[in-house]
Amino acid sequence: MGDEAKSIARGLQKRDPDLLDRLIEQYQYRLFRYLVYVTGNKERAEDFFQETWIRVLERGHQYDGRSKFEAWLFAIARHLVIDWQRSKKPQSLDSLTDPEQEHPLQLADEKDPSPLHQVLSQETEENVQASLQRIPAIYREVLVLRFQEELQIEEMAGVLSVPLSTVKSRLYRGLEALRGALQGGAAS
Amino acid sequence: MSEKIHDRALQLIAQARVEGIPEADSTWLRAHLEECEFCTGHVQQTDRALRSLRSASIQLPQGLASRTQFRVRLRAQQLREREPKRRAMWLACAVSWAFGIASAPYVWRLFQWFGERTGVPKLVWELGFGLWWTIPALFLVVVVLMEKVGQGSESDWMRQSR
Repeated sequence: MGDEAKSIARGLQKRDPDLLDRLIEQYQYRLFRYLVYVTGNKERAEDFFQETWIRVLERGHQYDGRSKFEAWLFAIARHLVIDWQRSKKPQSLDSLTDPEQEHPLQLADEKDPSPLHQVLSQETEENVQASLQRIPAIYREVLVLRFQEELQIEEMAGVLSVPLSTVKSRLYRGLEALRGALQGGAAS
Repeated sequence: MSEKIHDRALQLIAQARVEGIPEADSTWLRAHLEECEFCTGHVQQTDRALRSLRSASIQLPQGLASRTQFRVRLRAQQLREREPKRRAMWLACAVSWAFGIASAPYVWRLFQWFGERTGVPKLVWELGFGLWWTIPALFLVVVVLMEKVGQGSESDWMRQSR
């Protein structure tokens, strides 16, 4: 990994407040967007956003600079969301994260009609907003990581803590779901 | 055109966007797309879907970064304030262990003497000696557990205040 990641790792070891300020500014949009897509709720995403940065401060020494900082950041955010989801509905982590289960990761309430609408900007096509809501969160998440964040599949496997094959299968299903949803079909 | 050819083309279309495809497959797909309207339509739909996804934007809440920076700085200050206490605790433990190692033979003799004088079974005073050795570790465990409980209630409080 580049010098940038190494210097971030060194700064986090020292809990450098200026570095953290800069990182919060730099990654605010990407992290918030990821959290909105995963939780489907702006207020909740905001809570997780702040909690994620507190965690970055506390666990910064665990980041070694060998992977991309954003991949580590998203992994922290994701774990926070899963922990919260687990405490809300006691069930096994596997059933929350395995898409082949009957009830895959549904971090956002799929019946709630509007949260994504509230945060996706007005200029965005209406049907994109509606389509994204029709896609299960577990697929929406991989689509965001791959096509918006442009993470490599290996990096995604690290963020999601799943094998490469699982990432790929979720991506294929997600892509199909997105395409179908935009066509107006019952993709999910 | 057979169903299998279309299936292969559709699979390659998705694969090209998810993980990339080898040059040979890419050439084959291009040739197929030139003569297949159905698969060309599929490519267009897929690319349109991805374009829409990429162009979908999110509005950031006002002051999100500054609020977060404030909270992070506050937490950093709390951690810094706790640091000297932690260091002192570890130092006390280290000194206690060093002293324990240095004095172990004498303490062992003291326990032995006490055991013989009071007629306590050997196993009991040996256990007593072992317990005496673990006191610094037990103390440390208690302090760390207390800190963890403190941290838990602190984050609960922070969550409620938001």
